Amino acid sequence: MNRTLKTALIATLLLTLTSPGQADWDDDDWDDEPSALSFHGFVEGAAGHRLQSNPAIDDDWTLGEVRAQLEGIYQGDVAEWRIKLEGIGDAVMSEFDVDLREARVSFPVGDRTDVRIGRQILTWGTGDLVFLNDLFPKDWVSFLIGRDDEYLKGTSDAIRVSWFGDRINIDTVVTPRFASDTYITGERLSFFDPARNEIVGAPPRLWGRRPSTSVGNAELAMRVYGMTGANEWAVYGYRGFFGQPTAFDSERGDFTFAPLNALGASLRGPLAGGLYNLETVYYDSADDRSGDDPFTPNSEMRFLVGYEKEMATNFTVGAQYYLEWLQDYGSMQDSWPFDPAVMPDERRHMITARLTWRLMRDNLIISAMNFYSPSARDYFLRPTVQYRFDDQLQLNAGIHLFGGRDGHSFYGQFEDNSNAWARLKYSF
Amino acid sequence: MKHAMNLISVALLLGVSVALAETPDVGEIIERANQAAYYAGTDGRSEARMRITDGRGREQVRQFTLLRRNGEDGKQEYLVVFSRPADVRDTVFLVHKNPGDDDHRWLYLPGLDLVRRIAPGDVRTSFVGSHVYYEDVSGRHIEEDAHELVEVTDEHYVIRSTPKDPGSVEFAAFKTWIDRETFLPMKSEYEKSDGEVYRRMQVLEVEDIDGYPTGTRMRMDDLDEGGHTIVEFRFASYDLGIPESVFTERSLRNPPRQWLQR
Repeated sequence: MNRTLKTALIATLLLTLTSPGQADWDDDDWDDEPSALSFHGFVEGAAGHRLQSNPAIDDDWTLGEVRAQLEGIYQGDVAEWRIKLEGIGDAVMSEFDVDLREARVSFPVGDRTDVRIGRQILTWGTGDLVFLNDLFPKDWVSFLIGRDDEYLKGTSDAIRVSWFGDRINIDTVVTPRFASDTYITGERLSFFDPARNEIVGAPPRLWGRRPSTSVGNAELAMRVYGMTGANEWAVYGYRGFFGQPTAFDSERGDFTFAPLNALGASLRGPLAGGLYNLETVYYDSADDRSGDDPFTPNSEMRFLVGYEKEMATNFTVGAQYYLEWLQDYGSMQDSWPFDPAVMPDERRHMITARLTWRLMRDNLIISAMNFYSPSARDYFLRPTVQYRFDDQLQLNAGIHLFGGRDGHSFYGQFEDNSNAWARLKYSF
Repeated sequence: MKHAMNLISVALLLGVSVALAETPDVGEIIERANQAAYYAGTDGRSEARMRITDGRGREQVRQFTLLRRNGEDGKQEYLVVFSRPADVRDTVFLVHKNPGDDDHRWLYLPGLDLVRRIAPGDVRTSFVGSHVYYEDVSGRHIEEDAHELVEVTDEHYVIRSTPKDPGSVEFAAFKTWIDRETFLPMKSEYEKSDGEVYRRMQVLEVEDIDGYPTGTRMRMDDLDEGGHTIVEFRFASYDLGIPESVFTERSLRNPPRQWLQR
């Protein structure tokens, strides 16, 4: 599409959003019995533009879309049915998409069990935008281009069974067909390809071949959790696949998702007027236990420790230290087929700092979530602002700044993807 | 049996002391006011609606259902399930209140399926965008202030409370007008250090519900910025027998319809 035309289209889309409505206090349904069937939704316009041109990708727009969501809820006597359907007019990809965001039924079985079946969003773990034991699908593209934080979580077509005991609760999630992350393909965002030793964009678009659908390839995730005093503890287990196509099938010549088993634990609770969280996990790369296959991810240990406190009224500070530790680094070094200079570090240390300032009774929220790796010397700075005009209309805007010493490091590779974005949302 | 006898003698003693002294002492007034405002019955349920008007006259609305259960030693649990507006619908707020210690608070964000624990920190901040503070919803711990009975009018005991840790709060003192019959706090005025009143809570309507006098309409004014919030409670009921298990993570993801519906 012609660039000027695209700019005009995005601007028009943003302007077409209607003005705020009045809060209806006097003429509403307060006294009526709530109806079993209800509908809600929103229309949102979003635009994002690169802060510099990207040699690997022609288009300087990273985000330009109008999204309309319609949600229907039916509250039956026993079961609750919920569906969220979205239509997305995407000017960057020049396409119109229909996306089923949720379609699920929830019901109790006996006194102690809740079941949720269908397309759903699943989250657990204690990290703030850092995931160790939460191996449910993520949409990294949405997160990095500035869509609503909600879209960082991808959807799972799954069965979730939650059992609640007196001291111990157990969650079991079965996803019959593996759902991968929405990973960086080179279409909106460029990335570093160690094989070509350069930053690349689409075409060709990075594509990972999903494992075949079979009983053995179903994903199983479990969480056993409870509270001891004020502290929440949890033990997690997972059997499935790495979320990103980080393995390479040299016979077929395509990228694949390597099998993964994970076992981890977490703690969260109050400490010195704030909240601490601790989490760890071991990733067992089942196809490369010796670590000498350069085309399959290494096994990994991960640690996270965090602390969050309201330092002054309406001003909260959160800090996390996070470690990714490759377990068979020696074997990986021996077998690394690419330029040794671009080999990942054995230990990747990362620090995150989140500052949140809530003003005007939370109608204005200024926040910055910053990631910095002292080992890779790279960073991702994410200042954002949220303003609620009223109950219907909300504006979000932010800047995503990536950079680092090396072009191959986790955040360094995204330097030319640095972008500024804004979203205007009308809810009903 | 022996237990019952003890209870009766305690009740008798209390009755006698109330009869003897025309005016109860300040500790008793505060305790009874706290009971009347926050501990009525063994548990309770109510629907609530807030109309928030800012200093420039712009309005917002919040609507939610609130469940409460009294535990031992003044401990309480609260579950708040939002139904309006659209961007907070299905958000659920859970509080375990621990007098003498920090409360434990959780927030469930349905769009992310995320159970977020809220740092204990400052409870004197806006509750979901209104002029009401978190602490106003679940009650300020009475031992955090020193209380003094400053006046007895025909209708009210007037109590002046000063914080034991002045650095922890934004007010220098607050005065509360407590109804002499129902012991409901009918008005509170928060003062700055120069005595200027900058924040006022008023109960506008009281109804008898299941034998408990209940404030069903209240107003919170921000006299500095000029905005206010009106809170209305309806469909309240008490002594329902809500089990403790309702106030757990289970209810964040699957709100307990059985107890939430009218």
